[in-house]
Amino acid sequence: MKVRQRWERWEALGAAAVFVVFDAPELLQRTMFDDIEVASLPFAVAVDRERVSYGAWGLRRARHRDIWLDPNVYRTYWRLLRAGDRLLPGGSDVLQLGGDFLVDARGSIAYARPQERDDRPAVGELLAAAKRAAG
Amino acid sequence: MAHTPRVGDPALALDLPTLGGGRVALTDLRGRPVLVSFLRHAG
Repeated sequence: MKVRQRWERWEALGAAAVFVVFDAPELLQRTMFDDIEVASLPFAVAVDRERVSYGAWGLRRARHRDIWLDPNVYRTYWRLLRAGDRLLPGGSDVLQLGGDFLVDARGSIAYARPQERDDRPAVGELLAAAKRAAG
Repeated sequence: MAHTPRVGDPALALDLPTLGGGRVALTDLRGRPVLVSFLRHAG
């Protein structure tokens, strides 16, 4: 969650953030948030176990080949392992894709990047979108 | 499957429980830019 590492830049823009997850809270606490007191986070982590919002926002499930034949997936794992991260058991659905959206102050979409595979925009790209949305 | 919202579209509703035990609604954050980031699986 690289946004957390640069949170002061989000705060300077007056921006808020909501991270939506679908795995069981117990699994999330053991994996994504194993070193974090969730209540202390400056942004919301919303849980959508039934993935209703994923569907409503048009976020689809990948095909197996989109994930497992993508060399970037293996590069990412390799980079994480070299950095000392642990490989953790996958969540309840490794094919569910996510996406990043920036909603402006009037409630309109100012940036939309649904995932097509296991890719995410750089934090700098999201910050630039937030800066434009903040006007 | 719904269509993914595009730039310029009104944001879709989002009102969910939070990991910390509360709730978060996008409408409560109106008036400031909001990053809505749907994550993939844990792990």
